[in-house]
Amino acid sequence: MSRPNAPLVPTAWATIGPFFPNTFFREGDNDLTRMAPDAPPTAQGAPMWLTGRVLQEGGGPCVNAVLEAWQADAAGRFRHPRDPDWQQADPGFHGWGRAWTDAEGRFAFRTIIPGAYRDATGPRAPHINLAIIGSGIMGRLATTIFLPAFAEANAADPVLASLPEALRPLLVAQPDGLAEDGAPRFSLDLLLRGDAATETPFFED
Amino acid sequence: MQHPDRFDPLDPATQPVVPIPGYPNTQRRNPARAPFRRVLTRTELTGPLDLSQKLRPGDDNLAMLAPGRAAQGQLIHVGGRVLDEDGRPVAGAIVELWQANAGGRYFHPIDQRDAPLDPNFIGNGRTRSDAQGRYGFFTIKPGAYPVPDSGRWWRPPHIHISVLGPGSLMRLVTQMYFPGDPLNGLDRILNSVPDLAARARCIAASVLPTEIAGDWLGYTHDLVLRGRHATPPL
Repeated sequence: MSRPNAPLVPTAWATIGPFFPNTFFREGDNDLTRMAPDAPPTAQGAPMWLTGRVLQEGGGPCVNAVLEAWQADAAGRFRHPRDPDWQQADPGFHGWGRAWTDAEGRFAFRTIIPGAYRDATGPRAPHINLAIIGSGIMGRLATTIFLPAFAEANAADPVLASLPEALRPLLVAQPDGLAEDGAPRFSLDLLLRGDAATETPFFED
Repeated sequence: MQHPDRFDPLDPATQPVVPIPGYPNTQRRNPARAPFRRVLTRTELTGPLDLSQKLRPGDDNLAMLAPGRAAQGQLIHVGGRVLDEDGRPVAGAIVELWQANAGGRYFHPIDQRDAPLDPNFIGNGRTRSDAQGRYGFFTIKPGAYPVPDSGRWWRPPHIHISVLGPGSLMRLVTQMYFPGDPLNGLDRILNSVPDLAARARCIAASVLPTEIAGDWLGYTHDLVLRGRHATPPL
């Protein structure tokens, strides 16, 4: 039951249910480029949008799902002591954002194209970590999104490459025109449950 | 603050098992395929150190919307500590809380049940754990409510709690229940946790009125986030 030498066991997760307060969301929460809603966006990196839909079994929209995004800055650094270069991380870039899905299951994040970096597992391609919580979801559904412009880096990324080859395209967002602010938009759908060829790959936390 | 540097997998017996019979969204919205394993590296182990500029705290009294506008219901205080698995306090965690009103209805457009709305109760708040990991909210005891089209499933009184600790793996979304409620033992969500001790830890403890000041009933509820330290505490 409990693990050796662990005095405390992490609290059991539960779903957010259908009533996660929409008043928790404020304008700018889905913008990773700002330290605060009223702060200017970072000057480093190329702006982009990550958009898409969260879909449930059968392909219908997953309404009121909450997505949390986390990524490196334009130089591939995380402002957290677990990154050896964290003190050089972009001080104007937050890297975290939260969005929720509308009646069509749509979400959108404004961010910058994340930087590549190397860690002990190998060369990491630019990527955005996403976690989905929602009504009926009893934990975090965690996945990682890649970008199509970095085909060579994607092929060498140890996490993406660990997936069966046929599933890798499901985690690569596709170009989807320009957003209103002129920044390129990359889009993909996240299918929470489906057949083996179309269900989004999720990772153990 | 010293950050945990070791994240063991969660013990599945202590976490909900899906799908939950009689709760269709747990079927539609959870993957059929087991999650892929990956090595945890800095991208997973990091996360925002301080979210208080983005998710602004300062809203820890749900029971008093404005001076003179007290919510209906039993006034309570819910508090406790945010800890890691080594029992170290997690300071600066964002703690979000939301709940139904005393009549068991949420202030949310999706909740159209025929139960009264309380004009003085919105039912959500946000605070930040202090240097000892302590958090606390003043609120009212929520009511129970039936889940629509579920075949007599009533949710027991419960409070939703979302915690954002200093790292993506130190994320927790949970529900807190009240001791002694007969609906607890029938709840499909609480019962989806196989381990009885883990289930029991989702139920808050009463604080005796002689132990607290003020005209509130007290409940304590500690929240344990993932994370251990390779170097044990001194």
